[in-house]
Amino acid sequence: MLRKTLAAALCAVAVLSAAACNSGDDDASDSTDPTASPTTTADRFRGGIVTPPFDKPDIVLTDTDGNPFDLRKETEGELTLLYIGYTHCPDICPTHMLEVADAMEQLGAEDAAKLNVVFITADPARDTPEVMRKWLDHFSTSFIGLTGTEEQINSVHDQLHMAHPTFTDLGDGNYAVSHAALVLAYTEDNVAPLAFPNGFELENWVHDLNKLIDEGWEQ
Amino acid sequence: MNFRTPRRVALLLAMTAVSVSLVAAACGGDDDDDDAADTATATTTSTAATTTTGTATQVASPITISGVWARATTNDVSAAYMMIKNTGVQDRLVSATADVSPKVQIHEVITEGNTSKMQEIPGGLVIPANASVELKPGGYHIMLMDLPTKKLDVGQKVEIDLVFEKAGKIHVTAEVKQGGGMDMGSGGMSGTGTATSGHGMGTATASATGTAMR
Repeated sequence: MLRKTLAAALCAVAVLSAAACNSGDDDASDSTDPTASPTTTADRFRGGIVTPPFDKPDIVLTDTDGNPFDLRKETEGELTLLYIGYTHCPDICPTHMLEVADAMEQLGAEDAAKLNVVFITADPARDTPEVMRKWLDHFSTSFIGLTGTEEQINSVHDQLHMAHPTFTDLGDGNYAVSHAALVLAYTEDNVAPLAFPNGFELENWVHDLNKLIDEGWEQ
Repeated sequence: MNFRTPRRVALLLAMTAVSVSLVAAACGGDDDDDDAADTATATTTSTAATTTTGTATQVASPITISGVWARATTNDVSAAYMMIKNTGVQDRLVSATADVSPKVQIHEVITEGNTSKMQEIPGGLVIPANASVELKPGGYHIMLMDLPTKKLDVGQKVEIDLVFEKAGKIHVTAEVKQGGGMDMGSGGMSGTGTATSGHGMGTATASATGTAMR
């Protein structure tokens, strides 16, 4: 009954249905629920559906080798996860990076190779290409790290309709930086119709990335 | 129901954020008026407090700590996590120190719209009476800063002293873990108890909210 009662609310939740809450049983329950609508793209994924999808920022940043990286050109035609964070982030950023890395390990090398993971820093003052490379390597040497000027980073946020990073003084030269709460999943056509919130657990990462890689966004 | 408009998306994100923020505020803010006094009291109390160790349930303290771990890192920041169970009256985690770090703070995560930020919890982390509060990835955490070693390795131990307003100082040992889903085990993400307490942290509440919506 609870599920039914909440069905209406669910319609309104196309975004951010934290799969942490789904416990992976939705496939079965959907098929047995007479009120369920036919399977849609949204139903196939546990992440949040974003409508209209996020555009991919049109920007040339600097990669961890110090070379220019044209985000759209370099990643067009490939599945790409995009996250904005910072390396002095002790909690959410490393959690996301680890979960993605762990999920890709479970997917296997062949499938994992079909997925770009791009980390854009919200803290270019501290996150030099070298600092980012060392930090990203802790998770995966395949992860792409991008930095840029403050103006470029702000432009990335503008294009994603996200607030510019804010800085919270933690004392003694330390500071925290606000950053994306979502990991955006871009399909081959440079738009992200799917986003993963904080707390999206490993099994859900594996589930959704597997579907994206094997079946694609549109079935 | 046609939900698929950007306005609704933004609204939902905002609603999610608000619910998280509200709870965070409710947890941390219900007696902010005496924060200064509390902190001062805690400082005094800690010097005379009984020290308990790890998960040991020594006589006096209604506070027990379990599942303590710290995140492996390759730079000078990290975070420590644990479950804090309180069988007594409301208490408050007001400060912490760690052997690996000269600068330790108790942090909360606040999500507003589609961005998140972390900050020191004003006045410390309230541990409601007869409830458990979980510090876990994406929510409350003990931030370790300025690590002189510029790393924490998996398997390493971190010695942490927690200072509670009423329970005084409690010593725990954190094992350094990678922290991903693979080695979190069942204990690491067991937010159920926290959520049902009604005083859980932002993330646990966000999950609960998500469940309701789904």
